[in-house]
Amino acid sequence: MPRSTYQRLLGFVGKLAVLLILGFLVLPVAVVTIAAFNDRAILSFPPQAWSLRWFAKAIAYQDFRDGFRNGLVVTVWASTIALMVGAMFAYALDRYRFRFKKGIEGILLSPLVIPHFTVGLGFLILAAQVGWTRGYAVVVFCHVVLVLPFVIRSVYVSLRNLDQSYELAAASLGAPPSRVLLTVTLPLLLPGLVSGWLFAAILSFNEFTASLFVTAQRTQTLPVAMYNYVREYADPSMAALSVMYIVGTAVLIVFANAFLGLGKVLNIEQSR
Amino acid sequence: MNAQPFLRPFTAPAVLCTVGLVAAMAAVLQFSLRAYVPGSLEPGGFTLANFSDLLKPLYAKVFLDTVWICFLTAICTLFVGYPLAFALVRTQNAILKSILLVIVVTPLFLGEVVRTYSWIIVLGNNGFINSVLMNLGIVRQPIQFMFTTFGVVVALVHVTMPVMVVMLAAGLSHIDRDYQKAAESLGAGPVRTFLTITLPLSMPGVVAGVTTAFAWTFSAFATPQLIGGGKVNMISNLVYQLGFASFNFPFAASLCVAGLALTIVVLTVLRLAARPLDDLKAH
Amino acid sequence: MNNLADSRNGTASSGDDIAVRFDAVTKRFGDATALREVSLSVRSGEFMTLLGPSGCGKTTLLNLAAGFFSPDGGEIRIDGARVNDVPTYRREIGMMFQNYALFPHMSVAENIAYGLKVRHIAKKERDRRVEEVLALVRLAGMAGRKPRQLSGGQQQRVALARALVISPKVLLLDEPFSALDKNLRASMQVELREIQRKLKVTTIFVTHDQGEALSLSDRVAVMSDGRIRQLGTPEEIYRRPCDRFVASFVGDANVLRGRLDGFDGAHSTVAVGTARVKVPEAPLRGVALSTPVDLFVRPEQLKIAEICAPSAFGGRVAAQVYQGGHVDLYIECAQSASDRLLVRSAGQDAMTRWPVGAEVGMIIGIDDAVAFPVP
Repeated sequence: MPRSTYQRLLGFVGKLAVLLILGFLVLPVAVVTIAAFNDRAILSFPPQAWSLRWFAKAIAYQDFRDGFRNGLVVTVWASTIALMVGAMFAYALDRYRFRFKKGIEGILLSPLVIPHFTVGLGFLILAAQVGWTRGYAVVVFCHVVLVLPFVIRSVYVSLRNLDQSYELAAASLGAPPSRVLLTVTLPLLLPGLVSGWLFAAILSFNEFTASLFVTAQRTQTLPVAMYNYVREYADPSMAALSVMYIVGTAVLIVFANAFLGLGKVLNIEQSR
Repeated sequence: MNAQPFLRPFTAPAVLCTVGLVAAMAAVLQFSLRAYVPGSLEPGGFTLANFSDLLKPLYAKVFLDTVWICFLTAICTLFVGYPLAFALVRTQNAILKSILLVIVVTPLFLGEVVRTYSWIIVLGNNGFINSVLMNLGIVRQPIQFMFTTFGVVVALVHVTMPVMVVMLAAGLSHIDRDYQKAAESLGAGPVRTFLTITLPLSMPGVVAGVTTAFAWTFSAFATPQLIGGGKVNMISNLVYQLGFASFNFPFAASLCVAGLALTIVVLTVLRLAARPLDDLKAH
Repeated sequence: MNNLADSRNGTASSGDDIAVRFDAVTKRFGDATALREVSLSVRSGEFMTLLGPSGCGKTTLLNLAAGFFSPDGGEIRIDGARVNDVPTYRREIGMMFQNYALFPHMSVAENIAYGLKVRHIAKKERDRRVEEVLALVRLAGMAGRKPRQLSGGQQQRVALARALVISPKVLLLDEPFSALDKNLRASMQVELREIQRKLKVTTIFVTHDQGEALSLSDRVAVMSDGRIRQLGTPEEIYRRPCDRFVASFVGDANVLRGRLDGFDGAHSTVAVGTARVKVPEAPLRGVALSTPVDLFVRPEQLKIAEICAPSAFGGRVAAQVYQGGHVDLYIECAQSASDRLLVRSAGQDAMTRWPVGAEVGMIIGIDDAVAFPVP
């Protein structure tokens, strides 16, 4: 297509704007990375000397180690439970008619708009009232409720896109419902289930506000441990941890994009 | 013949979660109607005093500030996010597109604490921006970003941007490119095509993005807490302080209830305002 | 192969020769009634086609036979046993879907073996039967492929093999050719019919394509509006439509205006202009003389004749279109109910060149047309 000077200029301005916005997105990541490798304890730019000692300190710091372990425990339980609960409910939502369907769906999706501090406070009070100790159970249950909307949506969309004639074909060939579910529906839903689980796991591992309310010293997750650290210390070991965090998440995202097609998961593929 | 063979086993766990969530929300509601007994974790009798206390100027201001910050953040995020979403959807180069996508999406999964901490390093008095400006001799005294509404909003825009871009991109990607080609064939220039075709057709995505950005910002805690540092307060900070510093859980609960009511009102207004756009979603 | 055919014969001879029987079956979806007391018996080994426009209820009838939902009234029997409350997976049916519904995560062999596996048939026997049926549909050597690696025609054969390998009591086909292009469609139709004859499997076939219905079926049930309008052999349906709907839905038809002129034993006589046409008496039984009637005649049964020939009616040639195998002649005629009549001639008749505007006569042989009273 022939382009006029005006159009070229417009394209240039557009590209510049996008670059600036990308810069805004990347800036804190870049700065935190520089700070993490800075040898000095006080933040200063540009750094005079480089070192890895903040990484060593972050890895050795007991609260971070505990937080990482606790976070992993909570994440694995919460995302797995949420996947099972959410997938089964999404199936019922797509295929069945039952009482209070709309109501249950509405309530389960409501954590998308209810502020996390409200959910956290609610579970804190509830746990105190029914006499639960502030152990893992409360944290996991709270996380399940918080990530459930994402799992339900992800699985529901996959179910919608699943041609029902596969299941009818299996039934016509003599497979009873449970067998249809295990040999046809489940394998065909697998990509949706994996992306739903991954989504849930990442969100749960990063959940902070509600966790701050429902965790105790013994169960505090990594974001809570990091928050407490930032409030008390100013040395760059937090920056070092952030870098590890960013790299870990980015690797997961690149993986998800390569194997599952993030564009499809997020529903942003150009329609033609 | 049973047409719904797995109904019970498949819905029972979800019903359990529903009951749990409803119970938690009911607990908040119940606490918001109870009296605060200083020095005790157990609340007193039923009262409406918590809600009348909300009207005190100190708390009313926090409410207004919260709405203002959410509004500001949503609008700024929209203006910054739109070009990026546009680039993301229209880029033809697959590798470039993947890179854009990863850059946009990674912060979405980074969590509030890491991102807020990063912004402290960027905006602090000894932080990146002030160091660079002073080293270049542009300013003598560090500019105060921390503990200001500006600083909080900048960080919040960064926090909210990925979800805004994803929502806008979803809206933009479902616009048929032929509309744009048709407009161009009729002699409309690129700016005019954008303003008369693409922008109106992307309005459903814009509304979804603004709505979500508003709700997310409302829920933010670490950012106003760490960057606002007590000078810029949102409802979330007040709830935490009341709960964990003064153990006044009944009042914290009433703040949550009022905050939730406010969220619902704002989201409903946004949705009603967007109703004329509903027929754009049809295709 | 013998195995498949034998097991078919075994079940066929044990029944009362009716494989599938619908008895006053009614089905409603909300307020809409999809089927109104439909009764139909499909004979053992028969190829029965349900033909009709979309929304006529043909697919609903098929799905009821498959057990995808239950009827609101009436009874369905397969091999004499009432199946109203028998779920799909215990009905011993084979079904082919419009999009084939081949499981994308299984190979061709796994797809075909699925029904055998569900029936707990030993691996060795399973492998043997898969191989056998693959040979039947001429796909030997394709066992390891995934469905997406196959062409449309190959996918369809796999779907057929998968449905046949379990020796179903009845084979249900839901518009299986609609996704194929025209040439492939014709050859697949011939192949399907050959296999069906070889195995003598009772087949219910749903289509909206009347050509398909006429060329494949032993009998055709023409449906509209939730009812069966006519049940008969393809020839009966084509030559002796029982009402205006069937006459106009199946095949091309010219409609001429006429008047009932008299009865003559087995025939009625209809006056078209000055001409007299003898038609079957049945549709006009009880109609008063001189009543206006519409005469339905197929394009190939309108014959060009001398304008002055006895019982000929006149017209003027508007266009002649060469179609390769035959020639279509469009004729303007005062008695036509639509604007032009279509005369289709093949062979020697097609050789004549008619100038536009030429006056011609047309005749209709005895029983070559049917007449219905004007509604």
